[in-house]
Amino acid sequence: MSSEPIKDFGEGVGKGATEGLLNYSDQKIQQLIGLFKDGKLKFIGDQETIRVAKETKRSGEWAFYKTYIKDKDLLFIIRLGLTLRKVEKDSRRLDNLKDKIRRKYDIKGLHVAYFVQNGLLNRYVGILLDDLDSAIKLETTIINTLKNIEKHTIFVDWRYEESQLLKDSMTLTAAHLSEIFIISGIGSAAKIVRDCEEKLVEVLKKYELEKISTGEKEVFFFKRII
Amino acid sequence: MELVSLKKISQESKISLLKGLGLDSDGEYVLDSTGGKILDRYLEIPIKVDNMMILPGSTIVLDDNEISIMKYMEEFEDEF
Repeated sequence: MSSEPIKDFGEGVGKGATEGLLNYSDQKIQQLIGLFKDGKLKFIGDQETIRVAKETKRSGEWAFYKTYIKDKDLLFIIRLGLTLRKVEKDSRRLDNLKDKIRRKYDIKGLHVAYFVQNGLLNRYVGILLDDLDSAIKLETTIINTLKNIEKHTIFVDWRYEESQLLKDSMTLTAAHLSEIFIISGIGSAAKIVRDCEEKLVEVLKKYELEKISTGEKEVFFFKRII
Repeated sequence: MELVSLKKISQESKISLLKGLGLDSDGEYVLDSTGGKILDRYLEIPIKVDNMMILPGSTIVLDDNEISIMKYMEEFEDEF
């Protein structure tokens, strides 16, 4: 089902604008309610919210992940990550969506959404594809990583200290034997990650490093040497 | 199906709309006919009149945010 463009129904039907908003007559309200009950009309909020929600389904990334991931909840969070990316230049909208994701899916869901938003999932899949022997393995590895994201990824924030980052990296890799272990620093945390590169390479001897490095993003993918 | 943006409608008219649909408001939140706050179907949060959507499917009132819209689109197979 698709809908027609938004109408304001303002012309010639209301009492006129009050502080820029339309004030409808009782008769007009009854008319709108009649149209709504007949299934001919929807009352929406911000048009941009709907536009963003629809757009994520048209992306190539969405088409790819929909093909390989059958877990509906996980797929929905991936879509939310794509949505975060769409709204990241609008801080009010971004903060509101992050808050709602956290409410609905806790911090773990928010981390999965961050993982998608910042392009880490795409790069992660790219690394997996280098050694891939089956599509099933691709799906199971992605699902396992996203469902256990805290075991395979450190999201560094501005409070992290170098010693803590080194300690956590050693603890997690020893405990979970990640095939790919990720350290992500975005914004002010990028410098913390960047400054730790040499020491991380030193302590994660069983891994080889591949990184995404831009001004405000420093992401290390440590791939286990087999 | 036509879309009417509630962002362009006065608070008074929005409350009249709710009453016409058998709902109510305390001036801030959307209430049901017994005076209880209606919760967003997907996020289970109270819905402010300022930030509501009213959609078909037994008159579903939602908080205007991307998660609720996407969940509604999935549940009702509605592409807007």
